[in-house]
Amino acid sequence: MQLTPSGPPRGLRARLAAAACVLLAAGAPGTVRADATSPAWSLDASGLVYAEKDRTNIVEPVAKITRLLPGGGSLAGQFEIDAMSGASPTGAQPSHQVVTTTSSSGGSSTQSVDQVPTAPFHDFRGAADLTWAQPLGPLTFTTGGHFSNERDYQSRGGHESVALDLFQHRTTLTVGGGKNDDHEFPVGIGGIRVGLTNTASPQFQSSGDQAKTVTDGLVGISQVLTRRWLVSLTGARTHEEGYLTEPYKIISLIVDDPLSATFGAPSPDSALTENRPRTRNRSSVVGSSVYHLADDVLYTSYRYYWDDWGIRSHTVDVRYRTDLPDHDWLQPHLRFYTQTQADFFTFGLPLSMPVSQRPEYATSDFRMGPLHTVTLGLTYGFKPGTAPGDLSVRGEYMRQWGDGHPASAIGVQQQMDLFPSEDVFTVMVGYSLPF
Amino acid sequence: MTPPRRSPSPPRAVRRIEDGTRASFAALGGPCELLLDSEDVREASRLMAFAAGEAFRIERKFGRYRPEGEVHRIHGARGRPVEVDEETANLLDYAVLCHESSEGRFDITSGVLRRVWRFDGGSTVPGPEAVREVLALVGWERVRWERPVLQLPEGMEIDLGGLGKEYAVDRAAALVGQEAACSFLVNFGGDLFASGPRRGGKPWAVGVDDPDHTGQAPLYRVDLERGGLATSGDARRFLMHEGRRLGHILDPRTGWPVEGAPRSVTVLAGTCLEAGTLSTLAYLRGPGAEAFLLEQGVEFRIL
Repeated sequence: MQLTPSGPPRGLRARLAAAACVLLAAGAPGTVRADATSPAWSLDASGLVYAEKDRTNIVEPVAKITRLLPGGGSLAGQFEIDAMSGASPTGAQPSHQVVTTTSSSGGSSTQSVDQVPTAPFHDFRGAADLTWAQPLGPLTFTTGGHFSNERDYQSRGGHESVALDLFQHRTTLTVGGGKNDDHEFPVGIGGIRVGLTNTASPQFQSSGDQAKTVTDGLVGISQVLTRRWLVSLTGARTHEEGYLTEPYKIISLIVDDPLSATFGAPSPDSALTENRPRTRNRSSVVGSSVYHLADDVLYTSYRYYWDDWGIRSHTVDVRYRTDLPDHDWLQPHLRFYTQTQADFFTFGLPLSMPVSQRPEYATSDFRMGPLHTVTLGLTYGFKPGTAPGDLSVRGEYMRQWGDGHPASAIGVQQQMDLFPSEDVFTVMVGYSLPF
Repeated sequence: MTPPRRSPSPPRAVRRIEDGTRASFAALGGPCELLLDSEDVREASRLMAFAAGEAFRIERKFGRYRPEGEVHRIHGARGRPVEVDEETANLLDYAVLCHESSEGRFDITSGVLRRVWRFDGGSTVPGPEAVREVLALVGWERVRWERPVLQLPEGMEIDLGGLGKEYAVDRAAALVGQEAACSFLVNFGGDLFASGPRRGGKPWAVGVDDPDHTGQAPLYRVDLERGGLATSGDARRFLMHEGRRLGHILDPRTGWPVEGAPRSVTVLAGTCLEAGTLSTLAYLRGPGAEAFLLEQGVEFRIL
């Protein structure tokens, strides 16, 4: 119901009006000019420690500095350093023998009996990314570029996108695209090896480095359904062309006569370099939802991915953010991922297979295999005592597994777990400060 | 690798909208905006700095959780007297007037009751002992206030949040008003101040949500030309107990949510502070809200 004012203010209202007037007129002693104190800069920093049991360790400090520009635009620079060390699976399969493999850093390693062969490596990667976003009427233009460099890999690229806000920001349409130019210069293995040749007597391609271009495009729509519910749908397509083979990965040649397995496997250097097609078309569709409950927020997303190498994957991701007293917050995280293997994935090729009958493409890289992962995580955010800014700590546990006893196992492989499950722990500390 | 943020801040954005410019930022626990009756985006960005700067200043100074703030310093005194500055003293004087003129229903020491009440839409109510225990820490009459010295018994707390947001709206409006050449509207989480009619003599149109269906089309529209507008109610923050809806505004005399209160009280007044105080005092009267506002001779809407 509505009522119009009746007569002059009286009683309590008059007293309140007078008191409010006194309070507001007195103002704030020493009020600083607002534009001098308001944060136009902000800093986000994080450090990541990643440890796979007995495998890779990564320490990854990232700093992102954002400058807000007059007119509503922003300029953001992100700088990132990765220091990686550890051991990475070579693609070679476990055997009953001690296995020695070469490595990306030029050394060699010796693997115990029945374990998945890995090669030690350490690397250092630096990356910089600059992004400029500028609203212009209902449109927001974003453009950026990045450069990253490590000992054996260099990448540079650019991306552009434009977003259109409609119906008072309830609907946003986004169209974007980007292009990357990457170069691979393998170290420690003598150059770029020809695909599917014996690693014991490697043959090299004439050029010392190999190029790869990645072109991608995306279209997306996000829609505010209610003040508490935002949904979005994004489709993306990526075309890769060039050297897509992993230069360090190898494929074991397996003795396929069950009798000889009893008397010993062939020499451990019976392995081939891997070989992948020179083009790859990847597509994905992602649907996501952000729902604000009374105090908490529920994030969910589903992604379907497919490519012309035969990989299909599903990803479901759920996060739930809940506020604790004193501005602390907790966010549990659950993620499930499953993929089918690439058409040319193999756990190993039979030693007896004549060279002429070998497939054109083959890889034993587990990332191309039938892989499933489940991730459990928890993030805790808090104010660091009397210091300014916000801190968060995230711990994550990931279990990865596949079918370790496939019907395609050959010879000695039939007695082994070819796809042992792997546990990965991650700890990340983040810090954010407007200044 | 960026950690998720607590709130969608600091996205500060200045955008052209249909018939003006909107500058938005996050402060005082929610979304804040400054609407300008002008197409000048650059000017909007400059004026936003005044509004946002004042909002951040008040949040830092009077926020309950701000370690650098006045409230934190007062609580840190643990029962000893503290001398407060002039601005804090003015706010405390204002709070005293509200306390006295509401027969104790308005009380800035009542924030500790939130330790036992959780308004999450659920149905759990605290036991009588729990409420009694916390009530021992509530009551402005136990506080010694002799301007500029405040002595708060140990364990008691004050919360200026109830006044702080409306105060911030009026303060920000005063600062922007000194700089702006056009008409504008300050909106800090639903508490508003309009500086005057828009071009062509049009008022600012303010939509008020149905508390039961927030986020959908506004239930009704209020035309605001000049002055403050504030709403008290239980939208989003309530709990259901024995079939009754209990709003999040607590009566410090009983330690329980105000009974029989309207779902939402919106008041228009000269300043946002005045509008907010009147809507809160009306809400605290429960079923007597409407009679109270009629008596004040103020423009209002009740749901």
